[in-house]
Amino acid sequence: MKKPVKLKKKLAHSKRYSLISFEKKRSLEGFVFSIPWLLGFIGFVVIPLVLSVRISFYQTVLTDLYGFQGTSKFVGINNYVKVIQDPSVGQTVFESFGLSLAKVPVIVAFSLFVAVLLKQKFPGRTLFRVIFFIPVILAGTIMTYLFRDGVGQMSVFSTITTGVQGVNTFFGTVMSNIGSIMWASSVEILIFLAALQSVPATLYEVVEIDGASAWESFWHVTLPYISPFVILNCVYALVDSFVASDNPVMSIMNSMTQTGTKYGQASALSWLYMLATLAVILIFILLTRRWLK
Amino acid sequence: MKLKPVKAAEAEGAPVETKQKKKFFEGGIKGLIKKYENLGYKAKKKVYHFISRLLIYFVLIEMAYLFILPFIYILSTSMMSSQDYMDPTVQYIPTSVSWSNFVKAYQALDYIKSFFNSMGTSLLSAIFQTVSCALIGYSLGRYKFRGRNVLFILVVLVLLIPPQVMILASYGLWADLHLVNTWGPVVLPAVFGLGLRGALFVMIYMYFFQRIPAVMDDAARIDGAGPLRVFGIIMLPLVKSAIAIVFIFSFVWHWNDNYEAPTYMYLEGKQTLQPRLANIQNYFNKYASSQMMSELDKALSEPMLFAGCLMVMVPVLIVYIVGQKQLAAGIERIGVIE
Repeated sequence: MKKPVKLKKKLAHSKRYSLISFEKKRSLEGFVFSIPWLLGFIGFVVIPLVLSVRISFYQTVLTDLYGFQGTSKFVGINNYVKVIQDPSVGQTVFESFGLSLAKVPVIVAFSLFVAVLLKQKFPGRTLFRVIFFIPVILAGTIMTYLFRDGVGQMSVFSTITTGVQGVNTFFGTVMSNIGSIMWASSVEILIFLAALQSVPATLYEVVEIDGASAWESFWHVTLPYISPFVILNCVYALVDSFVASDNPVMSIMNSMTQTGTKYGQASALSWLYMLATLAVILIFILLTRRWLK
Repeated sequence: MKLKPVKAAEAEGAPVETKQKKKFFEGGIKGLIKKYENLGYKAKKKVYHFISRLLIYFVLIEMAYLFILPFIYILSTSMMSSQDYMDPTVQYIPTSVSWSNFVKAYQALDYIKSFFNSMGTSLLSAIFQTVSCALIGYSLGRYKFRGRNVLFILVVLVLLIPPQVMILASYGLWADLHLVNTWGPVVLPAVFGLGLRGALFVMIYMYFFQRIPAVMDDAARIDGAGPLRVFGIIMLPLVKSAIAIVFIFSFVWHWNDNYEAPTYMYLEGKQTLQPRLANIQNYFNKYASSQMMSELDKALSEPMLFAGCLMVMVPVLIVYIVGQKQLAAGIERIGVIE
């Protein structure tokens, strides 16, 4: 009677040490899938970042913009001090932060609203989906042409809002902002649309049998189910407005690099700005962590 | 909910409920009320359906107007002659269609070469990103391993780093590798799942993979499928809509990129369409003098500019309309999981 017990113990013991456990094997697989990205991360993100920290501690004067040749000397944290002491920079940063934070809820709410509408089955919804994607197609150079006021003629967006502006200037500005908000929400609409389609139809059937109205089923089925996508869209909208090329902070940076003498300062500013945006987004994610699951 | 009062009446239940019913159908005959209630549910639903559709159309058409007007503006302006453009009485419908704008824009854009560069970089990057971002998204979405959370935070960090922070240093690196003015700086990061908004695609994939029930890959594993097989044959077909989204966005964003690609590819003949479009108005003026164009000249060349815009955005429009079908097909596939 004693023998088999011993054997069992021995087997269990030897297994633990000789074979990789199932869970370990699994986690190793997961890691292997992420190796290509990690390699790229080191090559295309870490190394340039380290170099850009170096640039921010040097004062560089480029003689040839494209050949990337010039003289540089170490100035320590001088570049950072200069950026922080510049009052106009600080003001611009705070203003752009406020604007972004105010914009995000409107963008997300609007895109959720449109996505819910576009999810309904009605003839012609493919056409509408194409239409709401137009801003993404017109992005880049075309967008700057459209938002600019041409000679002797106003931009398309001013013509849309002039009628409203005639009535009341406050509503006029609100309306023109709504235009730009709508134009910034195409990506969010598509993400929401895909998320909404992933809600199982059986859930809706269940709550309909239980007698829920459309409004109730939206709040108790749809929204909890797509809550991670709401957070994802919030983060995306935040980042999008922080990094957008029409963001005033970004244009300050660009104007600094174009002169060819303020590379160090531009790098310092971009680092400070990045840290600030990171802080804002981390706080946001921490606050909304419980909806991510 | 709407059937409740009937049930209450049938069961002769609480007096409170019958009172409510009487209030609701004032002056009705008892037998008819029953019939009306039973028929009324469907009829009411039909009316409700009709009204809600009407409202949806109203709201959507209202908003679609804002989105489509600039498109119509580009379309109509690109066909106007300069006189039509300057004439305030001519709005949207040109007096005569002038195709010369397109010929001029074709020359100024150096269309064939720039189109080749734009298409090559966008298509390659989109294909690579669709595959490589799926790998890391799969790892983040379906595996638990030590350092997974750190990895996720790294992905979020990459999403948050403005390209302006790195572009100087990156340019120096690419110059050292003698890859400036090739497709390399745009395409190579995409191979590894980075590149233009790569981190966002990783997150999209991650959320889609998380949605799939664990039963799916457990079943495949019990049947003896290896990890690559599970990924390629079971998982990828389940996230078709994510694949469509990532491919479409990646292509369109690379096509419209007017910051990174123009920085790395600036030589004549190596440029993409976007920087050519940005300088389209200077093209015919280039040899005249080194001075800036006069405001009038600029205004006169405006129709040519919008003809160029139209030529630049047509391929992207086609990609989206073709991809739209794939997107819908993938979406139907998602419902099957449940």
